Formats: sequence, C-alpha cells, structure tokens
Amino acid sequence: MRTKRTLLLVLMAAFFVGQGFLHHSAIFPRWRKDYSANQGSLGTAGLNPDQLLFALIGLREFVAGILWVRADSFFDTGNYDAILPIIRLVTWLDPKQIDVYATGMWHIGYNFTDEDQRSDRRYIPSALALGKEGARQNPHTYEMFFETGWMWYHKIDDDYDRAVEWFLKAHERPDMLPARKNLLSNAYQRAGEVDKAAELYFDLHKAAVKRVQNEPEVFGHLQNLETLENNLDTMLVRMVQRGYVAKNRNDGSFETGAYDVNPPFDVGFSAKVTVVEPRVIQIEGTWNVLPVGTRVRAVLRDADYETDKAAALHWDKTSSVNLDPPRDKTFMQEQLFVKNRRFNRTIDMSKDPTMYPFTSKDYVLEFYYNPRSAPPHIQDKFGWSGEGMTDKNFLNTEVRPGQRVVYTKMSLTREQLLRQGEWNPIDGKVPILRTKNYVEAGQSAQDDLIIVPQLRGAGQ
Amino acid sequence: MRVIWSIAATTVGEAVRRRVLLIILLVGLLLLTIAPALGQLSARQETTVLKGFMLGMIQLTSAVIALVLTVYMIPNEIERRTIYTILSKPVQRWQFLLGKYFGAVLALALMMSLMTAVQLLIFFIQQGEIAMELARAPALFFVQMSLLAAVAIFFSTFVSPLVNFFLSGGIYLVGSVLSPLVDTLAQSRGTTPAAKIGVQVLSTVVPNFSSYNVQNPIINPGQQIQNESWYYTMVTVYGLFYVGILLVAGILIFDRREV
Amino acid sequence: MAAAIETRKLTKTYKSRLAGNVNVVDNLDLVVEEGEIFGFLGPNGAGKTTTIKMLLGIIYPTSGEATVLGREIGDMEVHKVISYLPERPYYYEHMTGMELLKFYASLFGIYDTEKCQRLLEKVNLAGDASKTISQYSKGMQQRVGLAQSLLNDPKLLFLDEPTGGLDPIAHTEIRDLILQFRDEGRTVFISSHELSEVERICDRVAIIHRGKIEAQGRLEELLKGGRIEIIADGVSSDLANSIKSADTTVSFKGGRLVVDMPDSNDPNALLDAIRSGKGNVVSVIPRRKRLEDLFVETVRSGATDGGNL
Repeated sequence: MRTKRTLLLVLMAAFFVGQGFLHHSAIFPRWRKDYSANQGSLGTAGLNPDQLLFALIGLREFVAGILWVRADSFFDTGNYDAILPIIRLVTWLDPKQIDVYATGMWHIGYNFTDEDQRSDRRYIPSALALGKEGARQNPHTYEMFFETGWMWYHKIDDDYDRAVEWFLKAHERPDMLPARKNLLSNAYQRAGEVDKAAELYFDLHKAAVKRVQNEPEVFGHLQNLETLENNLDTMLVRMVQRGYVAKNRNDGSFETGAYDVNPPFDVGFSAKVTVVEPRVIQIEGTWNVLPVGTRVRAVLRDADYETDKAAALHWDKTSSVNLDPPRDKTFMQEQLFVKNRRFNRTIDMSKDPTMYPFTSKDYVLEFYYNPRSAPPHIQDKFGWSGEGMTDKNFLNTEVRPGQRVVYTKMSLTREQLLRQGEWNPIDGKVPILRTKNYVEAGQSAQDDLIIVPQLRGAGQ
Repeated sequence: MRVIWSIAATTVGEAVRRRVLLIILLVGLLLLTIAPALGQLSARQETTVLKGFMLGMIQLTSAVIALVLTVYMIPNEIERRTIYTILSKPVQRWQFLLGKYFGAVLALALMMSLMTAVQLLIFFIQQGEIAMELARAPALFFVQMSLLAAVAIFFSTFVSPLVNFFLSGGIYLVGSVLSPLVDTLAQSRGTTPAAKIGVQVLSTVVPNFSSYNVQNPIINPGQQIQNESWYYTMVTVYGLFYVGILLVAGILIFDRREV
Repeated sequence: MAAAIETRKLTKTYKSRLAGNVNVVDNLDLVVEEGEIFGFLGPNGAGKTTTIKMLLGIIYPTSGEATVLGREIGDMEVHKVISYLPERPYYYEHMTGMELLKFYASLFGIYDTEKCQRLLEKVNLAGDASKTISQYSKGMQQRVGLAQSLLNDPKLLFLDEPTGGLDPIAHTEIRDLILQFRDEGRTVFISSHELSEVERICDRVAIIHRGKIEAQGRLEELLKGGRIEIIADGVSSDLANSIKSADTTVSFKGGRLVVDMPDSNDPNALLDAIRSGKGNVVSVIPRRKRLEDLFVETVRSGATDGGNL
C-alpha cells in the first residue's frame, strides 16, 4: 500500500506540474487575448457587489444584457442621465458589444440639449473617448472607426483632418460597406485635400464598375455606381469652376481666368451683442452674402475653459471615458443663420442653468466662420479653403493653419451676463458690445457696397 | 472498470430521480424559455442579449446542479450506510469513489445536454436559424462543471455537505475571478511585486474556472480568433489534469477514512 | 478444521472528546471454524457491528490481526466469496428488487438475469420484483437483502439480525435456509438478539460485552448447568432471606415463594428447610440452562475464565 500511495503522490505531482505549465504558458495568454474583457481596472466598474460577482464569475455578458434592457426603458421614459452609467457598465462588461458603443456615442453626442435644442458640447470629448475605446476593443471591424470619424465630421463639424484619419482606418477594415466609402472622399474635400478626394472617387468608381460586372443582378451595386459617377462628375466640375485645376497648372490661367473664387469676396462681417436679460443675449450683425446658407458660429465659454483652438473645446483631450462633464463650466455654441445679409438671434440660456452654470468670472464670446463647413453653393464662391473669401476686418489665417476663416472675439464678465451690480436690469447699464465696424441699422457705412456673388461661367 | 461503470450507472439513476436536482433543472429550463422576452426588451441588441442570457443561465444552473449533485454524494452513502453493502463486495474504495464521480459527470452531461438542446430550439424558434455555435460554450462549460464536481467530491471525502457546499462554491468563485484579477494586477502600476507573485501562485494552485468562459465571441460574432479548437483542447487537457489531481487526492483521503 | 475467521487481539479504538480513547473492540480473540454456524451475541453497543465491519474491511482495526478464509481482512479475493446481510436495509431505494440484485451481481461480474430471478423466487419476492425498495415492507427488504447475499454463492455469510422484522413463517424459512447453508459446507456468522433462534441453530457462539469476548465455545459446553425452580407457600420471610445467595434467587409471587437455583446445588436441604418451617412445597421443576441465562449471567457478572471452551 505504501508503494501505491507513493505512486499516487507522484502522479498527483505530475498532474500539478502539467496543469501549472499548461495554464501559464498556453491558456492564460490566449484567454487574455481572446476572451477577457480586457478592460484593466476592476475597481472603477461602478457595479454593485452582486453584479460585480456575477460579472467576474463569467456571466459578464449576462449582466451586460440585463443592464442594456434596463437602459431601453430609460430611453423610452427620456431619463437620459440614467443611461450614461449603464453605457459605461455595459461597455466595461462586454467591450465586444459594438452596438452599445455606437448607441452610446450617439446618445452622449446628440441627446443632451437645452430647451432650444442646442447640444451640450461638454459631453463630446466623452463621446469621442468612447468611440476610441470601442475601436481599440474591436479592431477587426470598421464600425467604431467609422462612428468616431462621423462624430468629427458631422457633430464637431470642424477639424476634418481628424475625420479623414478615422475614416481611413475604417477603410482598412475588410468589412467596410462600399456605400459608406464615399464619405471619406467627402471628408477629404472638407479637409481641403481635393486631389485625394478625386483620386478616391476614381478608385471607388473602378471598384464599383467591377462589382456591377461581376454581379449585374444586384441593384445595390448599380445604385452605388450611379452615385459615384454623380459625385465624381460634380467634383470634377467644381474643381474646374473653383479654379482648382487652373491653379495647379501654374500657368497663369487661374489669375486671368473667370473663376468664382477670384478675386476673394469680402463678407463684411460685423456683430453687436446685447445682454437683454440675465443669461439672455441678442446677437445681430451683418454678413454680406445674399444666398441663403451661411451659418456663423457663435461660441460663449468660460475664458479659462481648456481648449486647444479657437471657437472649440479640446475635443480629443482624453482617451478615458468619463461621462461626467465639467459641470462648473459653460460652453454654448450656436449657429447664426444669415438671411438678407443680416443675422439676428436671441439666445436664451436662462432655462438651462445646469448646462450654463456661469460660475466663472470672465467669458469669451467668439465668432467663427470656416468655408470648409459651407454648403456646396457657397463653397463654389469661397473655395474649399476660403481662397475665394476675405474680410478686411476679421480674416484670420492663424486660428486654422492653412485655412482662411473669419474670426473675432469679445470679452464679457459674469456680472454682465447675469446683469448684476452696475448691469442690473432695473436701473443699471445694458451690456452692449460691438465689433469696431458695426453700424446700427438705419445708418450706412462708407463702403457699404452690395455685391451679389454668383456663379460665373465655367473657367478654362 | 466494470465495477466503476456499474456504480456510475447506479449513480446516474439516483441523480435523475433526486427532486432537488430536477427542480433546479426545471427552473433553468424555464428561465431559458423566457430569455426571448428579455432580448426583445433591449435596444437594438436582441440577439446579443438573448445569447448572453441563455448561455449565462446554462452556466449558472449547471454550477448549482454540479454542486448539489456532488456535495451530498459520499456523505449520503455513508449516512444511509448503502456503502456498507457495496464495500462488502469486491469493490475497492477508489473504485467506489471513481464510480460515484463518473456517475455524477454523466448525470451532469445529461442535464446540460438537455439545457443546450432547449437553448438551440428556442434560438431556432426565435431567430429562425440553427446556431450550432451556441453549443460550443456549453461543451466547455461541461468540462468546467466536471472540474467543479471533482472539487466537491474531493472535499466530500472529509467535510460535511454544508461546509462542502460553501467551500466548493467558494473555490468556484475564487477560481472564476483569478484570471481577471491576475490580468488587472499585471496592468496596474500600483500593485506591489509581492501581490502580483501571490496572485500568480494562487492562480497556479486554485483551479482556473475563468478559462472556460469562452462565450464572448459566440455572443458577439465577427471577432477573429485563431485556432480556437486548439484553445478548447488545451483547457480540456488542463481540466483533466486537475480532475486527476483532485480524484487522486480524494482516493488517498477516502482510503483511510472511517465510514 | 481450518478457521474461516480468526482474530488475534483485534482492537478498535475511537477517540471521544469526553471519554478520551474508547476501545469499542478490545483485544478480541475470535475463532470461527469452517462449515459451522457461529452466533455472535452481545448487548447493544457491545462492539458486534464494529467487529463485523472490521472483518468485512469496511473499517480498519486500530491494532491486532484478523484473517477471513485464510487471507488478511480487506483482501478483494476474499470479498468475492463472502457476503453480508446488513441489520437494516442499506439499499438504494429508487431501485426495484430486480435492479438491485442485478446491480450487486454486476459488482461480482455476474450478469445473469435468470439467477437474479431464481433468487427472488427463493425469497418469495418474484411477484414484487418490479416494485422499488421504497415500496417494500421491512420484511420484504430483509428478504431482498438475503437474496443479494446469495448472489455469489458465498463460502462465508455474515448475517446481521437475519430474522429481524420477519413473521414466524419467514423466521422458519430463514432458519431452514441457514441450516441448508451449513449442509452445503458454507460457514455462517450470525449476529443476533434472537437468542432462541441462535440456540436452535448455532454450533458455536461468542458473547461480546464492552468490546471483550466474555464467553466463547460450543453451545453444549457453555450451557452446562441447569436450574431448579422450587415453588412453596406458607414460608416465612426469615426463612426466605436465609435461602438467598449469589447463585440462588428468591422471590414471592402471589404469596408463594419462588426459588431459582443451580441444579448443582442439592435441593433436598432446601426442601427440608421449607417443610421444617411449616411450609408447603407446591412444585419442583428442573430446567436446562438456556442461552438467555448464559447471556444475562455473562453480561451481569462480567468475565468468567476468559471465555474459550
């Protein structure tokens, strides 16, 4: 029996060594790579102990599913704040649920608004961080790269080079939908990379032709081909009409030719800001462009709100998903819609004190116009990078390197915005700020010429 | 072998007649049938939630069945003295122990197969397709639960059923969080080397149940995992090694135990 | 004749928190000859079941040695040719009678359904073969136990209370079976409280008390020495008290004196004393020593001369 016991003990030892070796050399590395949640920190999950236990013992997808069902009920009742922690929890528990990342990004980026449907842009860095995390966790599919690119392209509506960067990554993924590939070309245009846009359209067109040849019965292929042909046509016409082709020929034909972008058109921006009531400002001004389609961006923010460029936030500040925006900071962004060469907008921030807390002492009101965001008929005049636009007072080529934009800013104090102290609404002064060229309605300026920009005949 | 097989067959017969186990199984099956309702409540995630819920339910129910099946197995035989009549026959104690274990594993296989079949059926009714990949995770869950059963059988050779239930359940919980814990600590800068080593040692000693949680790529398809069958084979071999350790240890203890 | 069972200083000690080490079986020296029916007697808690469990290899002795059919206890070769009928039905209740027999038969490598059927007929359970053990009465469970103990045609049978829970007819049947076993050359080791049955069929007996063998030997040797019962009336209590001694019991029943004394004592002196005391002798009845007497005597008085005869 002693020999038997010894043999059994030796067998146990052999099994023990075997399992230890297998686990550390083969199993754990593969598990970590392919099957773990790969989210690092356990402690910041925010789950209650029961949920954490269930999650850790291998039922994380189960818990994620239950939580997401809960989120659906919050969508129905409009309790948008309650959805945020669920998004974080579900993506932490199961980072392979791409839909949750995408829905979360959309929710964070678009659903938090004030009473007048102005987005709370303090959330956008979180939305971007969520998109980046989703892409990092799901590198095999184009989806999260595309969604992040779309956030830059559509919501931020500026820094189109970032949209290009993300759309490019989406393009590299084999499951990228052909119909969505057009968007990269659009993003190239918005980013001023016209050659690349055209090149891509040609490549996409070639691929589309092949698809139609291989599967002529698939109607979607034909539709895609027609869309591409249309886009390519339009692009080529624009390249010519806007003088892009001529300019690149470098033979003087651009300077002598009748191109819409030549000479640059002075938009004659001016603005007057009145704090009509506490937290209510009226912005009126001029924009010497008759066709409808201009939206001048107005941004009111804390003077010390961390930003990496004018009329924006540091959108890409962080990679960690923090769904709690800086609630003590104010960031208001509005589009001033130009009609009959004037704009006049009253912005009421009094109904949304959580979105506009006005806790700081000093504020900056910025006016910003970038032709890269303009609709095509306006861009036909101003060009892709503002080469057809100018403003004798406020043209700026520094706030956006390589681009010609209209930019100016004014300073306001908290007391002015809240109509406190000497600015009180009962017997105090009315805070009014004007750009130096602002002329009250009814008066006229010396060089108040009306020039109606229009498309001329196609250039050479 | 025939003695082991005879005892195993009897154990299966006994297990499938145990009311407690049948109730747990029934509850698990009922929860599977309501899974589609849960899927429909989710926003754009119906299939994901459905799969996650069903696989989670199978795993949870199987763990409870494995524990309840095995913690009472040996103590019951001793308490009811049915072991006397068997050990008076030409049956070695180790044959008895192995027979009981294999019987438990067979009974577990039957119950888990039933749950998996119901899962596939429900998915087919709900989604209109036979998703055979849904059977992959339960296959590894079976190995996982066989390992859990071996833990419980080992403890049943020297502790009471109640203590065993919590002890084996505790080992299952610890073994399920070990890999995530090791992973977290490895990535965390604040962890001391001693803690990292300690957890590594623990993950070598305690059976790693988390290695069997392979359901994520099934729930979220589209992920590219290379050579998955190799991984499945490795964790099965790991399980067999660990079951071997536990059964041998159980035999050594049971051989000297007063009945 | 070779010994079917032999123990030398077989001891089983249990540790108790209150009582310390307790020798449940204490230096047991037991011999059971082959081909005999051996009765193993003792009060509850004497160590009978513990001894049987050690001989069957179910538990391990603390010290001492034992052989069964010439081999050490626990040898699997021995288990092929011995069988055990437990005191209480320790069987799987979910199984039917037939399933139970087939299961136990399979442990011997026997896959003979007809044999199982014959055994069930032998114990009058053929009609209830498809009922589960939980549906059997105590007597039926005892009978299926007997059937399973015969599966392997054992050379040595351990029967623990074989007639427990059986009706008188079944008692007789079991008794006849046991006698038949002996005729077939098998050895039967019976542990029982049914002293009358043991007295009727056993060749040799041993009485165990507090873990020790108090008496062991052939029945006719152990039951040497009968008793005489004398009943008289009109005897004074003084006279009654003077008659009392260690081996003579004196009592009054319904006004009559009842004296019980060993037949080795001369009754005449007592009869004379009664008559002298103006008493009237009603009856003088000689009685052979019964096993019950020996049992009570042995258990009450403790060790005699160490036991073996």
